[in-house]
Amino acid sequence: MKKLCIGVTGINAVDNPGPGIGVIRSLKECKDLNVEIVGLAYDAMEPGIYMDWLVDKSFILPYPSTSEEEYISRLLYIKDRVCIDMIIPTLDAEMPFFIKSKEKLESYGIKTFTPSQEQFNLRSKAKLEETSLKIGIKTPKSKTVTSYDELTKAIEELGLPVMVKGAFYKAYRAYTHQEAVGFFRKIVAEWGYPVIVQQVVSGEEMNVVGVGDGKGGDLGLVAIKKLWITSLGKIWTGVTVKNGKLFELAKTFIEKTLWKGAFELECIVDHNDIYLIEVNPRFPAWIYFATGVGINLPSRMVKKAFGMDFDNSTEYEAGKLYVRYTYDIVTDLSLFQKITMKGESL
Amino acid sequence: MERLSQLAINDEGFIFDPYTGNSYTTNKTGILILSELKNGKSGEEIAKITSEKFNIEHSVALKDVTDFIEQLRSLSLL
Repeated sequence: MKKLCIGVTGINAVDNPGPGIGVIRSLKECKDLNVEIVGLAYDAMEPGIYMDWLVDKSFILPYPSTSEEEYISRLLYIKDRVCIDMIIPTLDAEMPFFIKSKEKLESYGIKTFTPSQEQFNLRSKAKLEETSLKIGIKTPKSKTVTSYDELTKAIEELGLPVMVKGAFYKAYRAYTHQEAVGFFRKIVAEWGYPVIVQQVVSGEEMNVVGVGDGKGGDLGLVAIKKLWITSLGKIWTGVTVKNGKLFELAKTFIEKTLWKGAFELECIVDHNDIYLIEVNPRFPAWIYFATGVGINLPSRMVKKAFGMDFDNSTEYEAGKLYVRYTYDIVTDLSLFQKITMKGESL
Repeated sequence: MERLSQLAINDEGFIFDPYTGNSYTTNKTGILILSELKNGKSGEEIAKITSEKFNIEHSVALKDVTDFIEQLRSLSLL
């Protein structure tokens, strides 16, 4: 079997972990996939660079906010050095670049498996309510705001408490107007405008991870409930669930949007009502959980991208527990030196 | 009843709801009540079974069984 060289971003396995390490672990554990992993990092301190049992080589990328030319030129340099066949972007901020440059990258022999620009826009926090209405999925009311006055108006319309969210990152629950203003300022200072104010709905929070094939079908779905989260809201312990209505919602989302690529649906389940809260256009950081219960979505996605046959089983056991843990690595300074000085581990 | 039939209950009284991911614990009486509810028995019938098994008055058993069933309802398990 030909060895595939796969570039994976999000190897920042820190307190707010990127999904990269879970994706890589899934690919490496797939018995009928022969892969070499290139870790694509934004900082020399990203732990994945030093996890040599998973990441074979690493390169530093310019930030996605840099020019498209600079970003592509760096990827082409890496392609020259290590012959990357495919890149799996796993961070929200990178997705616009990889979606926009899909054809260009493909022409250089670098495959991706990402949604279209239209699909990406449909699930944006600012458009989610409109999209959900069109495809018949319930979602909490939300308002996009860019000023203090709009924020106040949105709170008046939605009623407290509200969720105050950044367009890409961060979400806070505000119980008072003052709290909402504080979160609004915090998000604007860190991530800029717009800010989304969303109605709070009560119920159990559950998440679904999956990969859409771009034709209305899926390569597998796994639903979980987070049992324990960190102060940053990141899962630390979770359990698999089997909730027919949740799968129905996920399948409707895929069929109606013809979603292509990885996604995570964040939902609130209140008895028979399910609300779609957020759609993340990438694998979640807990993606290895799905692999651990037998649904290896990253490997299925790679196989699909290369036209290979893959196990399309959908069965997994409910009640499987996921426990995240921390780990320490002691290594030589030389790799850090190479990454810092040359921007690569070679 | 469908939700109840989906519950995974072990001999020690650990209950897992695959629909919501929630887990609960109960005692031997709770296990018995759940098991009889799964068998389609009514509260009255279960009270009769528990009063005989644990040698308590029927009225006491009926009160406990009714309380337990109400708890299941409040947890949306019934």
